Amino acid sequence: MSQRILLTIAILLAALLLGLAFFWQPTLPERPLPVAAAPAGGDFTLQAAGGPVALQDFRGKVVLVYFGYTYCPDICPTSLAATAEGLKLLTPEELARVAVIFVSVDPERDTPARLKEYAEFFHPAIVGVTGTPEEVAAIARRYGVFYARQPVETAGGGYVVDHTADTYIVAADGRLDGKIAHASPADQVAAEIRKRLTKP
Amino acid sequence: MKQLSLLAAGLLFSAGVLAGAADNVTVQEPYVRLAPPSAPATGAFMVLKNAGDKDVKVVKADNPASRVTELHTHINEGGVMKMRPVPAIEIKAKGEAVLKPGSLHVMLIDLKAPMKEGDAVPITLTFDDGSSKTVDAKVVRPVAAPAMEHKH
Repeated sequence: MSQRILLTIAILLAALLLGLAFFWQPTLPERPLPVAAAPAGGDFTLQAAGGPVALQDFRGKVVLVYFGYTYCPDICPTSLAATAEGLKLLTPEELARVAVIFVSVDPERDTPARLKEYAEFFHPAIVGVTGTPEEVAAIARRYGVFYARQPVETAGGGYVVDHTADTYIVAADGRLDGKIAHASPADQVAAEIRKRLTKP
Repeated sequence: MKQLSLLAAGLLFSAGVLAGAADNVTVQEPYVRLAPPSAPATGAFMVLKNAGDKDVKVVKADNPASRVTELHTHINEGGVMKMRPVPAIEIKAKGEAVLKPGSLHVMLIDLKAPMKEGDAVPITLTFDDGSSKTVDAKVVRPVAAPAMEHKH
């Protein structure tokens, strides 16, 4: 009698196992996770106070590209101050082969004139540029930059912009060639630039 | 009876003010970062040390140079810096709170007039027991993060 019960249990368990094997679909994602492809970077043309500025204008130079905005009260000044101090560590010959572009991620509020004033406060070699919201979004996407408006009552115009705070490095051939982390000290900025200036 | 308890509460409150958090908190190296000419806001930074046996919170900051003053922090989410207001900045008993770029700071929003390097901005900090303290923060040009954690 007890043997029969055991047998029944065994059969039920076997059926359960079979059923699981056939029908249980693990909920783990089948699709491959999005591949973290290196951002492509690439050329762009935006507006500065003095007219259009294109990345390709600087071919042959090492270009630092930073995405920020002029209402940015802390993060951008920290990044730009580090960049500016890094530039000051370079010799005039080295500096002549470096360009810095500050791309606004707040095209609604940042005018080219505002950007010029803001960027040059840190270093005269920094060019502030902006474009239509669509243009800026497309470039940010290509560089792997994230930015999003965040409502803050008391911020000028009622919002701040969360944004990637790294500085992108474009090699002399126009290729996106790494980035400098936010709040890196000036000597590291200079070292990153020099590394690329000495590349054949 | 009600009046009596009110009086008692009032006395307790004023006692709290007299032996307040402000007496236990010292402020070191306060400074305001000079804002670029077109920037409407800037940050004030300092190190707050609490010599007392109780945790203390800064619940409010004020200054005459901007129309709005807030306590803020930054959250770094995968390289994306997010600035957010915080209701208070806590200073642990016998501990310190470091207000520095990219982290906690007093935010001066909607500046009334452009600042100059070397100006001093009186910043009043109000603590959770109602006591307060005013420090003069020097206006300095933004500098890069020091290579070391703390620079003297």
